[in-house]
Amino acid sequence: MSLFDKFAPLATARADLGAEGTPPVATPIEDIVSAAEGVIDGKRVILAGTNNYLGLTLDPDVVASARQALEHFGTGTTGSRMANGSYDAHSALESELAAAFGWPSAMLFSTGYQANLASIATLAGKNDFLLLDSDSHASIYDGAKLGNAQTVIFRHNDPENLDRRLSRLGTDASRALIVIEGLYSMLGDQPPLAEFIEVKKRHNAWLLLDEAHSFGVFGDTGLGLAEQAGLLADVDFVVGTFSKSLGGIGGFCTSPHPQLELLRLAARPYIFTASPSPAVIASTRTALAKLLAGTELRARLWENTHRLYRALGELGYRLGSDKPGPVAAIILPDRASALAHWKGLLANGVYTNLMVPPATPKGLNLLRISLSAAHTPEHIDRIVEAFGEVRKAA
Amino acid sequence: MTTQRDRVDQAIRRAVETALPQINGIDFDAALTSDVGLDSVQVMDLVMEIEDELDISVPVEVLAEVQTLNQLGERLRAMIRGSSR
Repeated sequence: MSLFDKFAPLATARADLGAEGTPPVATPIEDIVSAAEGVIDGKRVILAGTNNYLGLTLDPDVVASARQALEHFGTGTTGSRMANGSYDAHSALESELAAAFGWPSAMLFSTGYQANLASIATLAGKNDFLLLDSDSHASIYDGAKLGNAQTVIFRHNDPENLDRRLSRLGTDASRALIVIEGLYSMLGDQPPLAEFIEVKKRHNAWLLLDEAHSFGVFGDTGLGLAEQAGLLADVDFVVGTFSKSLGGIGGFCTSPHPQLELLRLAARPYIFTASPSPAVIASTRTALAKLLAGTELRARLWENTHRLYRALGELGYRLGSDKPGPVAAIILPDRASALAHWKGLLANGVYTNLMVPPATPKGLNLLRISLSAAHTPEHIDRIVEAFGEVRKAA
Repeated sequence: MTTQRDRVDQAIRRAVETALPQINGIDFDAALTSDVGLDSVQVMDLVMEIEDELDISVPVEVLAEVQTLNQLGERLRAMIRGSSR
């Protein structure tokens, strides 16, 4: 018996994806040429499998601000916000985020994962309830595991199913935190937000909206799905990440409830970890200012999105969402076909993401493309041509 | 007369048929993951189906504690007894 015996099924699953050639899991990216192109296996490819939605990772202003902070403040804070790692720039970014939402408070976290872990585990305590969408990201499930609330799962994007579960709680529903996402990263689908809010209000419950993949993408100023739907006033907490549209790493939680500040004293994933580095805070502040100030990047992202969705539809592919969005999840009939597509696309100069069970909902085998404002129309056409080549070869 | 055991077992049978149509024959003593080969998402789909059949909410913490359908049935019966007191 070994401590490692329990991982045998994982080793088998990895082996099933093929031992030869470029690995489809944890694919090594050898170089970055631009926000939209890189080098894999010695070959220049279009990066169609990153979360660089606004393409800001190599924006000259964003990079310059990080460089300046790196040279001035050094490589790291070497401590937690609670102890010795709280710089003015951390508070400034928190104020800027809160101001963008028009809310009194925002908290930073060292990763988006920790933002969910901390917010969910701490907001819902021992005698409270968590109601999670079944397609929730792992960070949401892990937040539930870390906390002490009773957790109930409702069917994906099904407000009526949530309603039934809240009804069973009766008046206890006023101590229930509902967690949904603004854009689900596996299928690229969006929740019926207005219907969820109606259910939340009916039961006097609370709503946390994870805008990790929708921040910077939806809404007039890019704040996410709630802004686009005109429903920000009905959301209790918004969680977001710096590692997608903002091109850095870190996360945040913001709220119209000023008591959010109390989480600083209770949220373990906030208290017991080093604060984000000065360079990443600086780059995030510049990226946030760009995200809020301009609609040009979003417009470009959406042009690319519509161009790709239209072309894939014409090719006869089935997508995970009817509504176009920056994540295009192509549903393939089985694992072999998904793997063949992934390899074929890479051979034709396009890097995408292979997603297979159990990481996917409903046992689906997916090929996921994430679009970027950094993609040109020519990039999109080349991605579509690569699909054509793969189909020809099949 | 339908006993509570019958009612819960029937709900489990119906839920397996709906959520996991690929399963041939239901063994209530088989471990759902290691014997039947279900992944965590499939177990969750099954439990959501059972919740709808019985009109109860099953906390996810319960799932971590049960391995077989019989064990799940026991927990469900205890929950139903608890809520009807």
